[in-house]
Amino acid sequence: MATPVPVRLEAPLASFQPDRAIEQRRVGRAYHLRGRAARLALIPAVVIMAFCFYGSMFWTVYISLTRSFLLPVYKFAGTAQYVRLFATPRWQVAYSNMFIFGFLDIIGTLGLGILLAILLDRSVRFEGIFRTVLLYPLSISFIVTGLTWQWILSPTIGVQQLVRSFGWTDFHFNWITQPETAIYTLVFAGIWHQSGLIMAIMLAGLRGVDREIWRAARVEGIPAWRTYVSIVLPMLRPLVVTCLVLVAIAVVKSYDLVVAMTNGGPGFASDLPGKFVVDFEFERANIGQASAAATVMLGSVLAIVAPYLYYELARKNR
Amino acid sequence: MSRNLVFAAAIAGLSLSSSVGSPQAFAQKADVMHWWTSGGESRAVAVFAKEYEKGGGTWVDDPSIGPQAEHAAALNRIAGGDPPTALMWTTGVAVQQLAEQGVLRPLDELAKQGNWVANLPPLLAKSITYDGHVVAVAVDIGGANYQYYSVKVFHDLNMEPPKTWDEFLADAPRIKAAGYIPLAYGANAQQEDWLFSALVAGVGGKDLYRKVFVDHDPKAAASPEMEHVFSAMGQLRQYVDAGSPNRKWNDTLALVETNKAALMIVGDWATADFTTAHLTLGKDYGCQMAPGNQSAYVMTEDVFVFPATNKPDQIQAQDKLAKVMMNPAVQTAFNRIKGSLPARQDASVEGLNACAQLGTKIIAGGPDNQLPNFSLAFSPDTEGQIEDLLGNYWATPAVTPADAAKRLSRILASASQ
Repeated sequence: MATPVPVRLEAPLASFQPDRAIEQRRVGRAYHLRGRAARLALIPAVVIMAFCFYGSMFWTVYISLTRSFLLPVYKFAGTAQYVRLFATPRWQVAYSNMFIFGFLDIIGTLGLGILLAILLDRSVRFEGIFRTVLLYPLSISFIVTGLTWQWILSPTIGVQQLVRSFGWTDFHFNWITQPETAIYTLVFAGIWHQSGLIMAIMLAGLRGVDREIWRAARVEGIPAWRTYVSIVLPMLRPLVVTCLVLVAIAVVKSYDLVVAMTNGGPGFASDLPGKFVVDFEFERANIGQASAAATVMLGSVLAIVAPYLYYELARKNR
Repeated sequence: MSRNLVFAAAIAGLSLSSSVGSPQAFAQKADVMHWWTSGGESRAVAVFAKEYEKGGGTWVDDPSIGPQAEHAAALNRIAGGDPPTALMWTTGVAVQQLAEQGVLRPLDELAKQGNWVANLPPLLAKSITYDGHVVAVAVDIGGANYQYYSVKVFHDLNMEPPKTWDEFLADAPRIKAAGYIPLAYGANAQQEDWLFSALVAGVGGKDLYRKVFVDHDPKAAASPEMEHVFSAMGQLRQYVDAGSPNRKWNDTLALVETNKAALMIVGDWATADFTTAHLTLGKDYGCQMAPGNQSAYVMTEDVFVFPATNKPDQIQAQDKLAKVMMNPAVQTAFNRIKGSLPARQDASVEGLNACAQLGTKIIAGGPDNQLPNFSLAFSPDTEGQIEDLLGNYWATPAVTPADAAKRLSRILASASQ
């Protein structure tokens, strides 16, 4: 039993319908065309991705399963390369260093970066100066960063020498020349270099937080630190994830920093997988070992990233 | 051929650096790639260029910063079908590996005309020969097992530079007590090689050296004599300064130049550095063979290879260039500037510096005195593994000499498989 009211209401709408359909069709066609053009424009990128990126990746994985040495050999040889790789003391050190360096560098960079952002967010004076000073390391390449820190930490010309010249003659700070501690000096330099970037990203996020939330928290008498930890930072979750990804990528690809700062030494105590792969590929002309090491790196990254992606997707679907 | 294509594709795929612009091949135009960029080195290369151009050709100088950059660029050009006329290559096993790919031109005809093989030390003749064919030219010889010392330090302490390693270990505490660094040493792969070679020859003897470096005998590498070598190396740890890890060789040499350190184990190329610093041999610094190395010469060499080509003008240019580089008189002129010895034994050594002259006497003592350095003895892969071992041993006193010797033995065993 239809009441006359909806009919009356629908009548004007119905008269519009043809127009709307045309409009929709027009928009649809344009959209469709645009979509096709976009897809066409994407084809080269997709092809390059598929061949250069995934192609090289699969090639590397395959080569790691052959007896390749100076040149690629395509005869399958099982896991021989991996057996040798994991029996190599240098690889054992490099691989475990990746986790030590990665864990400390990510925690340290994110922690310091967020802390600095919060301190700046509390509206200090001369914020512009602080922001520039803290962001400045990022504009310096890893090579220069590494060399500078090498000099600062060198026991004969750096901090140790400086403090000794002040009269404290048995002062010791020789971490960079000790096999047990050299890897931690890389963490210093890594944190120094990256935390400015994290600060900038997080500061932008903090400035975007609605002031009403702060007012509400103040009304409730919640202390500022608690507001940050329990309300503001969880709101900035996507930004934190972005920062995490940026720092994690820097960890996995870190090569120049090691080369400039310790060159993997003393011995191979501060070696990292990236340097291991490049050394074996180019200096020692051993494609098989380099590919096996690169594959293990890829596998390790996937092992960490895959559960995380799964978790994030599951969260969205919930 | 298909193997070469695979090689080419692989290299093109691996290397990120783009190939150098392809120069048009004119008659007799020699495009030569090398990594001699320091002052003395580039002046030495100019000798080859001048000699080559005397015959009417043009020399295109194509230097790279370091062997790695040169290798990458050269392989790119070879893969792209535009090889240089000649290129410098890492000596020893690396040349053999390159020849194995079939990208090198055999130089047998020229070698016979110029009587190369008979006039080179046997070690060098072997290093430029692959499968019975001569595939490279050797332009100079260097010795890696010298000691360069500060005259002032030894004069102040009223001491003589050590003749044996035992003597050095006995003197070192006194040198250290006087406030000098007994041994200038920068712990990186390069200096590890020099020190270890001088220790194997000086502590273990030439027989042990030959068994390990030439025969790659795993048994000799694990022998008590080798343990003794490692234990001597371990004792040296206390006689270097705190700045040693990862210090470059010329920074390390500067310690001797400034009389902060007593001596350094280094090759004869150190002379050029002292000359640049305006120091005089005999007055400011001295050179001798490393302790215990008085009748041993750990040889290094520099070689050029000629990529195979079917362009007639390039073949002509290669012929001319190879003749120039293997000319005894040209080698003398070249090495007078470079500071090393002519590879050809019939070349005059007149006008060469006294440190290099010391080497000629030992080489003249016969093949028994001529020992291969790391790159003449091992493939880059094996060399790298041994360097890893040496670096780890040096930095980790917890590794015993016996462990180190066993690990060396395992490396040699797996390399010969």
